[in-house]
Amino acid sequence: MIRFERRIEATALWTAASFAMAVAAGLAASAALIATTGADVLQVFGALLEGAAGSPKALATTLVKATPLILTGLATVIAFRAQIWSIGQEGQVLAGAMGGYLGAQLLAGLPPLLFFPGVLAFGMAAGMGLGWIAAVLRNRFAVNEIISTVMLNYLVVYLLSWLLQGGPWGETGGTISYQQSPMLPGEAFLPALFGSSRLHAGVLLPFLAAAICALVMSRTPLGYEIRGLGYNPEALRHKGVNIGRTVTVIMVASAALAALAGAIELFGVAHRLRADNLLGLGYAGIIVGMIGGLSPIGTVFAGLFFGGLASGAVYMRVLGDVPASLVPAMQGITLFFFLCAGVLARYRVVMKVAVQ
Amino acid sequence: MSQLFQEAIIVSLLASTIRIMTPLLFSSMGELITQRAGIWNMGVEGTMLTGAFTAYLVATATGSLWLAVLAAIVAGSLMGIVIAFMTATLRVDHFIAGLGLNLLAGGLTLYCFQGYIQGRAQPTFSGFQDVAIPLLSDIPFVGPVLFSQRALTYLALIAVPAVWFLLYRSRYGLELRCLGENPKALDVKGLSVSARQYAAVMLGSALTGLGGGFLMLGFSDRFLADFTAGRGWIVVVALIAGNWKPRGVLIAVTAFAFLESLATHLQVVGAQVPHQLLLALPYIASIGLLMGLRFRSGQPARLGVPYTRE
Amino acid sequence: MSTALRVEGLTKRFAGVIANDNVDFDLRPGEIHCLFGENGAGKSTLSSCIFGFYRPDKGEILLRDQPVHIASPIDAIRHGIGMVHQHFVLVPEFTVLENIIVGTQRSGWRLNAAGARQKLRAICDGYGIDIDLDAYVWELPVGRQQWVEILKTLYLDAQILILDEPTAVLTPGESRILFDIVRKMCARGMSIILITHKLAEVMQSDRVTVLRKGRVVATLDTPETSPDELARLMVGRDVSFTVTKPDLEPGETVLAVEGLSARGFWGDPVLRDVSFSVARHEILGIAGVAGNGQKELFEVLCGVRRPAAGSIRFKGEEVAGMSPRSMMDRGVGHIPDDRFREGLVPEFSVAENVVLGWQRSPKYRNGPLMDNKAIGGLAREMIAEYQIATRDELVAAGKLSGGNAQKIIIAREFLHASGLVLANQPTRGLDVGVIEYVQTQLLKKRAEGFAIVLASEELSDLFNLADRIAVMFKGEVMGIVDPRTTTVAEIGVMMAGRRNEAAASKERVSA
Repeated sequence: MIRFERRIEATALWTAASFAMAVAAGLAASAALIATTGADVLQVFGALLEGAAGSPKALATTLVKATPLILTGLATVIAFRAQIWSIGQEGQVLAGAMGGYLGAQLLAGLPPLLFFPGVLAFGMAAGMGLGWIAAVLRNRFAVNEIISTVMLNYLVVYLLSWLLQGGPWGETGGTISYQQSPMLPGEAFLPALFGSSRLHAGVLLPFLAAAICALVMSRTPLGYEIRGLGYNPEALRHKGVNIGRTVTVIMVASAALAALAGAIELFGVAHRLRADNLLGLGYAGIIVGMIGGLSPIGTVFAGLFFGGLASGAVYMRVLGDVPASLVPAMQGITLFFFLCAGVLARYRVVMKVAVQ
Repeated sequence: MSQLFQEAIIVSLLASTIRIMTPLLFSSMGELITQRAGIWNMGVEGTMLTGAFTAYLVATATGSLWLAVLAAIVAGSLMGIVIAFMTATLRVDHFIAGLGLNLLAGGLTLYCFQGYIQGRAQPTFSGFQDVAIPLLSDIPFVGPVLFSQRALTYLALIAVPAVWFLLYRSRYGLELRCLGENPKALDVKGLSVSARQYAAVMLGSALTGLGGGFLMLGFSDRFLADFTAGRGWIVVVALIAGNWKPRGVLIAVTAFAFLESLATHLQVVGAQVPHQLLLALPYIASIGLLMGLRFRSGQPARLGVPYTRE
Repeated sequence: MSTALRVEGLTKRFAGVIANDNVDFDLRPGEIHCLFGENGAGKSTLSSCIFGFYRPDKGEILLRDQPVHIASPIDAIRHGIGMVHQHFVLVPEFTVLENIIVGTQRSGWRLNAAGARQKLRAICDGYGIDIDLDAYVWELPVGRQQWVEILKTLYLDAQILILDEPTAVLTPGESRILFDIVRKMCARGMSIILITHKLAEVMQSDRVTVLRKGRVVATLDTPETSPDELARLMVGRDVSFTVTKPDLEPGETVLAVEGLSARGFWGDPVLRDVSFSVARHEILGIAGVAGNGQKELFEVLCGVRRPAAGSIRFKGEEVAGMSPRSMMDRGVGHIPDDRFREGLVPEFSVAENVVLGWQRSPKYRNGPLMDNKAIGGLAREMIAEYQIATRDELVAAGKLSGGNAQKIIIAREFLHASGLVLANQPTRGLDVGVIEYVQTQLLKKRAEGFAIVLASEELSDLFNLADRIAVMFKGEVMGIVDPRTTTVAEIGVMMAGRRNEAAASKERVSA
């Protein structure tokens, strides 16, 4: 039988080793997955690498794909560090895009320097509203935030579906409805960087956001309270921290980050409101945040890693054979091994030999 | 509207309520067993999804529906092992373990599905048909509602008293409830807590997987991404709403199934409401229900608390 | 003479810390053998090894002179060893019968309660235990819950019974009944291991083994020793159990509580019509068996729990129902009884804990950021002043011993409070040396002009420190007495629920 004993102090080396093992195990399991489809594993991994970092164009795609992942990852970090298990990022991404789209219609014609901050703020505000609802449900009605945010996610999906099909924002013209809005005007596209066609200015925001998050978490009273809330809310309550208000601040801030991801996707990538490029970003962000060790800096690296995978997957698909959903599958597998590694780092495994 | 038409609609409404209940009932009874053993398993959605996909795979590959049912049960209990390993052995936070399982199941099922069809047209199967119980199904009104259902529906209805008996009248049930209330009471008697947690989660997840399997075999003929569409979460809500008691959970599940059935029937009769609103009804109801349920006397005392000796 | 149980050279380490060091111990048939020592002396570790809860790193356990291997409690039970844990291991939602039989049935699907019921009836009759087997455990008073624990072991035919701090939660009357039952067990040939740190209890045993820092210091026949000798053996030096309390004239009233009531989670009354007052230079002691409303009283006073009725006046201002923040800002310091849950964030460093609750204070901030330099400096000052044993201020508070953790809380609260300190069980579970230190600090604050409310389950603490003692029972104050004119017996009677009208009415007049 296998037993786990808590270590006196987790050594940095052992922690690094267990996470390296998790990456290796995740890759090995992914390789096994690829092999089941009959594809050449090395060739697939090679294609992934090529597509992720093989050319400036690939790197640009990686950055663009990593952008929403890092932002939703940071949203996860803020909430999970306080042991608030919000998984509303998924819906908040959609809300961010919807709010941004609404903003684009209201603010059309403003100069870019006002327009872009304005529409991004609209998107973030929409997400914050959603986060605030979940916070009220938790504080006032003691509704578990996992369940409430899942329910809200579904509601937002249906709301978007209605807006685009049957509601006011759908693309009309053809006989069939595409579940998408008309294209935004060209001046509402986020400006490109380095003259590249795909690298939009929004890719800078996650790095800025990560730096701010890192500073807030480690150096400010709010960060102190977020960490304290995660460790021991009871002591904070006894020492005068208003738990309800802090939870609200955390959930709203987290929602703002997730919503920003949705808005950037709208103005930087899709240029029209539609669900299919937004769905799954929130859930992927949870994985990215957790694999990033719930640290803002770690989340940037995890986001870049999975952004690279997503970019590589586009390239890989050209090769055929391997299903496009390899990336979500690899995300799930890697997360699983990381969860195990997190335990390994803190515990010593003791093999107990049965004695008669 | 004529009297006859009205009655036909009501019969159809109720009969479909019972049918929609079936998967939810299996899964919620499974989750009830799991949670009464103290494991706050948030991985219901992923377990149901895996059960549904496995059932699809086996049904299309072998053509045998009953083999598919068996496969869903086995797949469910395998997911149970994963959950038990993470919660009972690794002592990962229960919420995290469940979320992780959902994300894992979502990614893996989609990948396997795409790998299975490999770009060809998706194979389909023909699912379970109604089994009318002789004589009973001829009773007006009640007959078509209750006694002209899929075979597994009858089993699901029997599962409720069966789980009640297991929990409250068997010695295993006493130990199982003890796990949820105070596992140390078993530990000090020299009984393995984790072995019992594994057993409970595997049994519970097997039922949950069966629910997912029936969702596939009783309602559909093909698989698609996010097939379970949040039903696993409805199950979690039903448990809280039912105060962790078999009868309460049955009532909650019935209410959810009725709402869903109502939504589809309103669509059929052409009500002037966006269909998205109708589809969203169970989720709106869930939030409303949870807002009203602040006192949870039936919640196991150690639900979601990893057990350690210290 | 043959032994019922013998332990030879038992050693047990936890994460590098030695909890039992080469311990020898023997238990004779029919005796009450006391394991005596301070918290952390290794009593619980030794008993847990005997019960199979821990596995010793070295050493042997012999039953009736035969070596046995006890790898889990199931082996211990099979060998006739039973244990009553200090914190009861019961399921409140189960009935007495269900608690006893859960996990004991070895065959069959259905629950078989009839046979168990019969066997238990016989046991209860034999020991004169009067208990309703179908009552839910949550309905039972604590003393009866302990009977359920004892019945659990008797039902499994225990011959050796380990009692871990059995009287910690009992009134003096309940303790007497317990010892009656225990003596009946000995008369029937059972052997008892009694774990305690209370001198009064040791004196009821036949023999005593004193443990200190994991080692056996001595094994003595109880009738041939004295409390003084035992205390000296336990601590390892001469101890003066009394700190000297100077006479001080109480100043103006700081805290006046009138008709205070509060309700629990289910709406049950947890405080009923509590009234008292404390003045400058005064320590008001709160006596009572654990769980009689002391905790709720402190929670209401520091703002964590809302009162249902009544008034709390602090320095003349009505503060009932105010938030913890408002109470802290007004100068109320609070030392909670559950230090690692309510007083500290164990994962935070010592420095971070020193400013817990004051993290937004401009004193510790540098613009929007926290001033780590100032906080670190302050923490180092506190470590020096309160003699907190830690490598530096960056060590996580959870890694410190209970006594050092308590010193962090005391340092923080004394630093920020002005006027009133609420201290709930501040010395529970601490070594004698630290207890003396904490007591001295409280008296220092009293001399500075603070008003102090101090709850303790150790009456000796209250007699040493308090100027007046309020006795609580089921959320009510049974009376307020002067320690100079009262006796332990008088307080004991009040702790069991007898109202002392004279004392109560005297207080009303004086307040």
